[in-house]
Amino acid sequence: MQKRSLCALVITVVLTFVKVSAQDHTNLQSIFIDSTLTKDANAVVRSEEIVIEINSINSMTIKTKRIVTVLNKYGRGHADSYERYSPSTKIKKLEAIIYNASGKEIKKYKKKDFSDRSVYDGISLMTDDRIKYFEYTPVNYPYTLVFESEVESSTTAFIQSWLPFHSYRLSVKKSSYKILNTSGISLRFKEVNFDDYQIETTNNDQEISYSISNIPGKLPEVLSPQYIEMTPQVKVALTDFSLEDVEGSATDWKTFGKWQYDKLLSGRNQLSQDTKDRIKELVSGAITHREKTKLIYEYVQNKTRYISIQLGVGGWMPFLASDVDRLGYGDCKALTNYTKALLDSQNIPSYYTVVYAKEKRDIDPEFASMQGNHVILNVPNEDEDIWLECTSQTMPFDFIGDFTDDRNVLVIKPEGGEIKKTKKYEPEENVLHTSATIYLRDDTSMISTIKRESKGLEYDWNYGVQFKTQKKQKLHYKEKWDYINGLEVNSIKHTDDKDSITFTEDIEASCRTYIKKAGSRLLVTPNLFSCDQSNLPKYDDRQTSLVLSRGYVNTDEYIINLPKGFTIGNLPEKKSIETIFGNYSYELEKLSDSQIKFRRFLKVLDGTFPKEKYEEYRKFRAQIKKIDKSRIVLQQQ
Amino acid sequence: MKNIVKILISVLLTITTSGIAQEYKFGKVSKEELLETSFQSDSSANAAILYESKNIYMEYTSRGFELVTEVYRRIKLYNKEGFDQASEEIFLYKNNSYKEEVMGLKGITFSIVNDKVVETKLKKDGIFKSEFSDKYDQKKFTMPSLTEGSIIEYKYKITSPFISNIDRIYLQYEIPIKKLEVKVNLPEYYNYKKFVTGYLPIDLKESSYNDKITLTSKTRTGSGFNTTRTHFSSNDIDYKVNKYTINANDVVAFIEEPYSGNTQNYISSIFFELSFINFPNKPIDYRSRTWEDVAKTIYANTKFGEELKKNSYYKEDIDQLINGVNDPTKRVALIYDFVKKKMNWNKKRSVITNKGVKKAYKEGTGNVAEINLMLTSMLDYAKIDAHPVIASTSDRAISLFPTLDGFNYVISRVKLPNGNIYYMDATDKYGVPNILSNRIIRGLGRVISKNGTSQMVDFRPTKPSLNRFGVQCEINDQGIVKGMVNLHHMDYLAHSFRVSHGAKDSESKAKRLEKRYGINELSDYTVKGVNEYGKGIVERFNFVVEDQAEVIDNEIFFSPLLFLRDKENVFKTDDRKYPVDFGYGFSNTYMINIKIPQGYEVAEFPKPQAFKLPENMGKFSFRSNIANGTIQIVVDETINAPVITADYYPVLKQFYNQLIEKENEQVVLKKI
Repeated sequence: MQKRSLCALVITVVLTFVKVSAQDHTNLQSIFIDSTLTKDANAVVRSEEIVIEINSINSMTIKTKRIVTVLNKYGRGHADSYERYSPSTKIKKLEAIIYNASGKEIKKYKKKDFSDRSVYDGISLMTDDRIKYFEYTPVNYPYTLVFESEVESSTTAFIQSWLPFHSYRLSVKKSSYKILNTSGISLRFKEVNFDDYQIETTNNDQEISYSISNIPGKLPEVLSPQYIEMTPQVKVALTDFSLEDVEGSATDWKTFGKWQYDKLLSGRNQLSQDTKDRIKELVSGAITHREKTKLIYEYVQNKTRYISIQLGVGGWMPFLASDVDRLGYGDCKALTNYTKALLDSQNIPSYYTVVYAKEKRDIDPEFASMQGNHVILNVPNEDEDIWLECTSQTMPFDFIGDFTDDRNVLVIKPEGGEIKKTKKYEPEENVLHTSATIYLRDDTSMISTIKRESKGLEYDWNYGVQFKTQKKQKLHYKEKWDYINGLEVNSIKHTDDKDSITFTEDIEASCRTYIKKAGSRLLVTPNLFSCDQSNLPKYDDRQTSLVLSRGYVNTDEYIINLPKGFTIGNLPEKKSIETIFGNYSYELEKLSDSQIKFRRFLKVLDGTFPKEKYEEYRKFRAQIKKIDKSRIVLQQQ
Repeated sequence: MKNIVKILISVLLTITTSGIAQEYKFGKVSKEELLETSFQSDSSANAAILYESKNIYMEYTSRGFELVTEVYRRIKLYNKEGFDQASEEIFLYKNNSYKEEVMGLKGITFSIVNDKVVETKLKKDGIFKSEFSDKYDQKKFTMPSLTEGSIIEYKYKITSPFISNIDRIYLQYEIPIKKLEVKVNLPEYYNYKKFVTGYLPIDLKESSYNDKITLTSKTRTGSGFNTTRTHFSSNDIDYKVNKYTINANDVVAFIEEPYSGNTQNYISSIFFELSFINFPNKPIDYRSRTWEDVAKTIYANTKFGEELKKNSYYKEDIDQLINGVNDPTKRVALIYDFVKKKMNWNKKRSVITNKGVKKAYKEGTGNVAEINLMLTSMLDYAKIDAHPVIASTSDRAISLFPTLDGFNYVISRVKLPNGNIYYMDATDKYGVPNILSNRIIRGLGRVISKNGTSQMVDFRPTKPSLNRFGVQCEINDQGIVKGMVNLHHMDYLAHSFRVSHGAKDSESKAKRLEKRYGINELSDYTVKGVNEYGKGIVERFNFVVEDQAEVIDNEIFFSPLLFLRDKENVFKTDDRKYPVDFGYGFSNTYMINIKIPQGYEVAEFPKPQAFKLPENMGKFSFRSNIANGTIQIVVDETINAPVITADYYPVLKQFYNQLIEKENEQVVLKKI
């Protein structure tokens, strides 16, 4: 006891001393951070100041000063400071200083101490983006990083948004953002998700500024909205701008799209006469635009492959169609532009379309600026829209799957841009039907023939298995039904009907020990092939809405032949659950003394529900899981 | 006589093979090859290397010998999944003004279009060069105009001034190879050690031939106003070239399996490491030849041996630290803890220091050599018998031959007067003597000493590590189970817990259990011993599970291991080519007491059972008992052998199948 108080005393003395000796850096001490900011956080942004000076249409300076205290090893990523550069973006100043918990400087990195390498984004074969970064080995936690940089860019088409909360488990003591616009060009901006926050704002012709303080870190939750949809943000754009030396001006999507069309797309669709003739011949037997488009799409799928090369303005401007024709490869822009060129040659109108792919995110219909991360092709056909994913060699025609479905996209037409929504796959379209005939034997074994038919998004979620090697395919099914110990997959047949967009899997599977014996009883789980495996976490205090991004329907129907000499007494009653998220039913029917029928139905609806509903949904899934694995008892006759 | 027969057979074989052997010439692809739709011996291959030749030799230039690697590949792309093979990237090492370079890159894509062979050449727009980092340049290319069934061919040459490192030569890829020809021609002055990896036989042939270098020298005569005359003289130097060839046909694709440990040891390849240089009239320059050489070479390296000798930088601190402590075990513990606390590893692996121990000590950070040489040196300074152990990490090919390049890590070994031996790695904050991190456990080490003696060491523990589960619970007539779990993690399993969860908050630790075991309600979670390195960790929590037992009519069914039972066999594939590597042996034991509800009796319960893996590699036992309305279960799952060879794979798979069957057997409670 005595010893402990002595220790405490020593610490106080040391602290006081530090406080005095390092007065300049008292704000860099980690030990005085408010506990509301350290709770649920791996790091705290002590202050972030971003100042963007716009000098002219092709000159912009971004000054960043960021002070981050890293609380533990999981917070290191937030202090992994780096700056990207490219031929149009130069780093003028770069400096990082590390302070220990009591605010004493322990390491300093000047610009020359930073390592330099090309950006490896995991996708691109080639980019000219480079990165300067440093690697610091923490000696102790917490520690504080002061990072300062100044970057000059001749591209003003992108202006860094204000995004004070970069990620989960990161608190913010103070964050500010300022744009000084001396260029005389007018600025447009849009404030998003400001409602729940106190934000100080100044807006006038030359200056926009925002600041926010004392926001504790947030924890990620499953089935929640995209982070970007919940966090405050200020989007900014200039009405006159420059993109890798290509100048433009825009105030809305119409004018923005027009600029993109005129400066980045127009004239890049030239093809040789030879190619045009070939395409003409290809579609000669087809009558409607739809049929012709399908032939051309499949031609592109056969001829090309996806290779990403991003150099200079090539990051936004597609390769020439004639280059793709010759090389047989390109990125999303190039392949989309090529498909468009082929359609153009047959007088079928189509439009280059910018989209956010993969995570479901909209192009903001109300704010025109450089957005999106992918390009697809829009082919208007009578009253409908055909959307084409030109980078895939395997997708059926007129099918985009969950990669780009149901979101706002920018369709670029010669007369200007237009926001449209891509196809939404309704729950009733996304159907997986499993039927099976099962033979159970008194030696506890099981043998089944299974047929799985999937359509809509279920097609998208299932059809990839056919491209795996045989060994991996077997493994795929063993993993899908991993709750059956000792499952053997005896045969696999896949039928991919790209015209009706139906994927059929015919599988024969068996297991030597499917039936569990308990004395003279035999226990059987009648739901062999659709046991729900989900395991949703419980939250004491859920913060975010429940998002079910896509709906679907799964149906099952099995004929189960009982082992010789065994029968079943009373079958359990049909179980049904109805909720606002969808419904479920489980039913067993006795066909004869030796045969029963199993039926299962699950429909999940897509939608966004208030956060209070999460627990209800979790219970819905838990109930399903429990019913799915329920068993029946067979008795000896 | 026997020999003659052998020769005859080999001659005959040579004739027959050469009789049907196909000639591979750049640009000469046959229509038959283009029409092929699948690889003959592996129909699941998306692409195959029809031919690869690698020609490695030394060329005499004005800068002396340079290493040249000529690569020529012909690849068949059977379908779109194989198109990934059509892009190649080459990393080129550079150091100051010396750098590796690619020359003479040529490529052609061959396809059949309308029944005709169409050739498309690789042009500049398909070739890219970039500075990857300050040590590497990068050259990439991607082949044009691919269709299913296309064949691509490319060839290039890499010249390198760095003759001591011939890159590892792979003899197997993730796609099958139809024909492979590797030639390595090295002048007698350079002596290389060779070692191989993998489970495929390698047919390495050695021979030699004579070559010569013509050195031309120029001398000028004359002085003053006289016409100068130039004399040319040439001087031939004859030397022998050692020639190594490897030919292989139908090399199977390399496929990764779960629990593979270090696949680098299983893929077929050959290493050439410079052993010594011996120019006429010059002393022999030994790089490595025997383990003694390796040890001596490394001790002679200023970034190793010299670093071990330095002690002025820590002298004061260590004097103070061990002042008054004479027990060697205590000294070791003090010094090891001191280094672990003071030093922070920058994640860099190396046998030699980078910035040096002195600077590392001052800054509190360093690479593995800096930290562990420092540790070894301090122990030595404290009169402890301590030696460095050079090691290869778990992700590297293990070197069984004397070579230095095979090692990329250093730890420390201590021998105490009582005979105890400790292996210690101070880069691992959670480490304790003889508990090493994952990055090293599957590797191999060699203890070395100044006088050149050395000894191979295996880091894997001889005893399995323990996880002990204790469960007290009761089940009600609705099938809901409530209870408490005590979970002890010992040795390596405690270490593994610290590494993965040590720094996380209590809530995350509890959530992980909730998720892993599908527990409906988990409460009162506590954990003890996380920071007491060397001791076990105890987790304790209360639980409620609603879906482990099922009520059907008047009976309740459940597995007595509840959520702790193994449900899934991780070994799913039918066969296996290389060993299963668990890292270390382990033992899970369960003691479970389940109180049954009033008004129920036990109708059925699983009977005791035990079975073993051969050669004491593992065992399973299940004991059960009923007393005072309580079901008692004791289960032991033990794997003693960290590595189980491929021939035992079917037995191991069966062992797990049986274990899962047993653990899933049911208790039946019946209403009285």
